Amino acid sequence: MVFKVTPAIAAAMLALGTAMAHADATNDTIEKSVTFSGFGTLGVVHSDYGNADFVGNVIQPRGAGFSSWSASPDSDLGGQANFTLTDALSGVVQVLSRQDANGQFRPTVEWANLQYEMTPDFKVRLGRMLLPTYEHSDTQNVGYTLPWVRIPIEIAYTDAGLHSDGVDVLYRVKTGGVTQDLQIQLGRTAVDLPGVEFTSTPAAVVVFSDTLQYGDTSLRLVYQKYDGSGYPEVRLQVSGVGLTYDPGAWFVMGDSNYSQDKYFGDLFAWYVSGGVRLGRLAPYAIYSTTRAQNVGTSGLKSLGNDHTVAAGARWDFAKNLDTKLQLQRVVLDSVNDTASFADVGPGARVGDKTNVLSWTLDFVF
Amino acid sequence: MILALFTVCDVRAEEIVVIVNLAAATISKEQIADLYLGRSDAWTPIDQAVGSEIYVEFYKKVTGRDSAQVKAIWSRILFTGRGIPPKQLRDSEAVKKAVAANPKAVGYIEKSAVDASIKVAVSID
Repeated sequence: MVFKVTPAIAAAMLALGTAMAHADATNDTIEKSVTFSGFGTLGVVHSDYGNADFVGNVIQPRGAGFSSWSASPDSDLGGQANFTLTDALSGVVQVLSRQDANGQFRPTVEWANLQYEMTPDFKVRLGRMLLPTYEHSDTQNVGYTLPWVRIPIEIAYTDAGLHSDGVDVLYRVKTGGVTQDLQIQLGRTAVDLPGVEFTSTPAAVVVFSDTLQYGDTSLRLVYQKYDGSGYPEVRLQVSGVGLTYDPGAWFVMGDSNYSQDKYFGDLFAWYVSGGVRLGRLAPYAIYSTTRAQNVGTSGLKSLGNDHTVAAGARWDFAKNLDTKLQLQRVVLDSVNDTASFADVGPGARVGDKTNVLSWTLDFVF
Repeated sequence: MILALFTVCDVRAEEIVVIVNLAAATISKEQIADLYLGRSDAWTPIDQAVGSEIYVEFYKKVTGRDSAQVKAIWSRILFTGRGIPPKQLRDSEAVKKAVAANPKAVGYIEKSAVDASIKVAVSID
């Protein structure tokens, strides 16, 4: 994957470079203006299905299946630097190594932006950001922030939640007990399209999202639109609704999105999940699925269709460390680019069942 | 011996108070929870050392969450570039000093550590 330096990134890098040069002056300044942090996941996955590769996210070309054990679906490593330049101006750069569309772990810049705070409730960011397409999409690589081993893959099927280069406006409104986080993002991104090999088709992206928080309840609304020429032409719209209730001792959540594309047709994906926290142990269950709603001009039927039942537990066994064990059964409801798999072989049949066991160790520092 | 037991009980049940700068307006318990879970930028929260007794007690009572959950919540904010976790200070003395110096700062200390340099906004029981 080639890292292209866009003007926005270049501007962000330049400003950060200046800040770093300034920070070199004294140790004191460095402490105040730069903070380093990181995260990672060590994982192994076992699948008992030999006709396709179970993957950790939709862009991965390989996983567990043809070879029954694999470390590639979930393992990753990331490092981040936060820069505080003035009271109002800050920056962030995050580099990630995770199996990419080429099956390699080459480090990529996932976040690189400058943030200007007009008021504490009104912020503008310029540079590279991960898209907020679905719940947890912008921290999908930070296993420690997730209650499960990984985000249910079906929700990400039409949209991998990749990064976008552009401008982002965050506005927070408080109305009584309800806090709304409004976000508008305009940028350029590479789009993963279902049904084809990862093509990195460049497209312009517009995102509107609204997260309403009332105590421990949060409602997420998002609309995202891509436009790109090329083949196939990208005219993809994703609308999503998600609800979470998390009072601390337990949680329930659901997320859904409906995507529309002339070529691939309409798809509807959703999941529900719940869990309890018993001290350091947090068992959970998930049901997730994606269903093609019609056939697009591509003629591909039942694109992506599958459903998954999963159960697992997170154990926060030490400071800044957790380990998770997850068992899931995936049923192939289609062999046309089934969401949970890459490289679906000719032996695969609709109705085939796969048992997948995943173990991860997540850390943050 | 009964006296000794009472003393032990007293220490264990020592009240935590949320403090603000003398020049600051007051803050509600709900606002405090939002602030320490990264849902509000209206104030500057100051933290005690992670894993210290007062830290664990404070988060349990105010947010209903343990240290690992709080870390996960702040990791989400940190790794999306939206903010940095509250600054952690060594002890209540340091927290008092930081709050006394910044009209936007909010901190929490043991009730017994309260003095005239700051004011109590809320008692956590």
